[in-house]
Amino acid sequence: MSAMVRLLGALLSRPASLAVILGTALGYALLYLWLVGDIAGGGRGGLRLAFPAWERAFESRGALRFEPVGLIELGPWVWTFSPLDTLIALGLGGLLGANLAGLWRLRRAARQCPVKPPSGALLAGLPALLAGGACCAPLLVIWLGLPIAGSLAVLAPWLVPLSCLALLLGLWRLAVWQSPGEARKEGD
Amino acid sequence: MRRAFLTLGLALWLAVPVVSLQAAPPSVVEPAVPLAHSLEAMRSAVRSGGPGKDGIPAIDRPRFESPAEADGWLDDRDRVIGYYRNGEARAYPQRILVWHEIVNDVVGGEPIGVTYCPLTGSALGFRRGDSEFGVSGRLLNSNLVMYDRATDSEWPQLLGVAISGPLLGRGLEPRRLIWTTWEAWKARHPETRVLSRDTGYVRNYRRDPYGDYNPVRGYYRPDSRRLFPVMAEDDRLPAKAMVLAFRDARSAAAVGLPALREAGVMRLSLGERAYLVIHDPGLDTGWVFHAPEGRDIDREALRFGPDGVSGPGIEGLEPVPAFQVMWFAWAAFHPDTRLIRESQPP
Repeated sequence: MSAMVRLLGALLSRPASLAVILGTALGYALLYLWLVGDIAGGGRGGLRLAFPAWERAFESRGALRFEPVGLIELGPWVWTFSPLDTLIALGLGGLLGANLAGLWRLRRAARQCPVKPPSGALLAGLPALLAGGACCAPLLVIWLGLPIAGSLAVLAPWLVPLSCLALLLGLWRLAVWQSPGEARKEGD
Repeated sequence: MRRAFLTLGLALWLAVPVVSLQAAPPSVVEPAVPLAHSLEAMRSAVRSGGPGKDGIPAIDRPRFESPAEADGWLDDRDRVIGYYRNGEARAYPQRILVWHEIVNDVVGGEPIGVTYCPLTGSALGFRRGDSEFGVSGRLLNSNLVMYDRATDSEWPQLLGVAISGPLLGRGLEPRRLIWTTWEAWKARHPETRVLSRDTGYVRNYRRDPYGDYNPVRGYYRPDSRRLFPVMAEDDRLPAKAMVLAFRDARSAAAVGLPALREAGVMRLSLGERAYLVIHDPGLDTGWVFHAPEGRDIDREALRFGPDGVSGPGIEGLEPVPAFQVMWFAWAAFHPDTRLIRESQPP
């Protein structure tokens, strides 16, 4: 745990790593919100904002999916804005970004080392992308016309926690991998 | 003292279900629906659709606007679900119902549940009495399973028969809804009121997450695949082809819309009962009646108005609830259904 905190501290203290984390968090959040259906087309151009339903901010509409409180129109896009969905998206994106930045940092530090740092955690962000969608099926499944929505619906409540856990595990593995390396470096 | 508390507790315990049942939606003991699968088999085949109970929120306080206001955001070729009763007409735009699936409304003095399942393309109305319907978040044969808030009984929309809960086996009383275009509905009902986008919820009503009916694309394409498993499959028609469907207690029938358009009027039998199916060219739907053999119908003399079809030969005929639905879903509930694909003149 302390190794993970040290790794995170090191990543956040370097502008380049911080930029990777923030950029990934934003990019992943937009992708997540698009695939769970919070961001979609239908905008009429220009910018319009309306927040008529703040009282619904904590109302659940599914596993780790929450009611939107407002509508943000920007150009051709419409964002049905849910603060909690957005926090979840940014949280997952931040974890993915930390994994990416950590991997990048350790790969650079380990160029001379025959053992490569673990990179499997980068796939960990994928399950969450299937977590939402239209009322009864993930958008990806609808777009691809795959008759697997029945199986996915059973897994739906676990997809976001699964991604979160896998991303944390990835970060922990990177931290553990880094620790002996640092120890070696200090020993030299 | 202790006995008084016990008596009071017992009375309350007994009273709650009684009050709930009194508020239950009107239902009949013997529904006019053939059950090809046992209630138990259907209960076992129910599966989660993803969202939780009421995760898809029904509209319980619907607001309405004028056709002129609706023209500002509805295209003439957009799909609407229409209902007419006692001089009142309502249009429920599909692009709103795709997000809510149920509207608990009162039309012509009668409380009604307007229900729409996007996965099976079916719109059915049911009397709801003092109760309201909600979305359970579960599916049977891809079809919406609703529940009534008085008894928590579960009702697959296409059957209208309770498969669980205190009303198990009972049937709801259907009301005919019309699946048509906004242009056709406002031409037939110029005074109609239109469900407003001010639903109390924030949704992107300009986008249908499944595809589009204007023009038809995505999940709604006739040859596209269904997403959830079904209890029976039938490939006599493409899965999502829309048919006009009706039934009695023992048999079910589906009429292909191209055949009905071509024939105009069809006569057919289900078991011992004879039926008349009349195409309504204005709304592009069909009206079904029990019709004794030998009654002549002059297609040219038929008139279509707010109440449906009228004319010589129609008077006194008993109307039969019918609705449009995707073929795969109808066949999944009624594997023995008769299918009329070819034009059959009367």
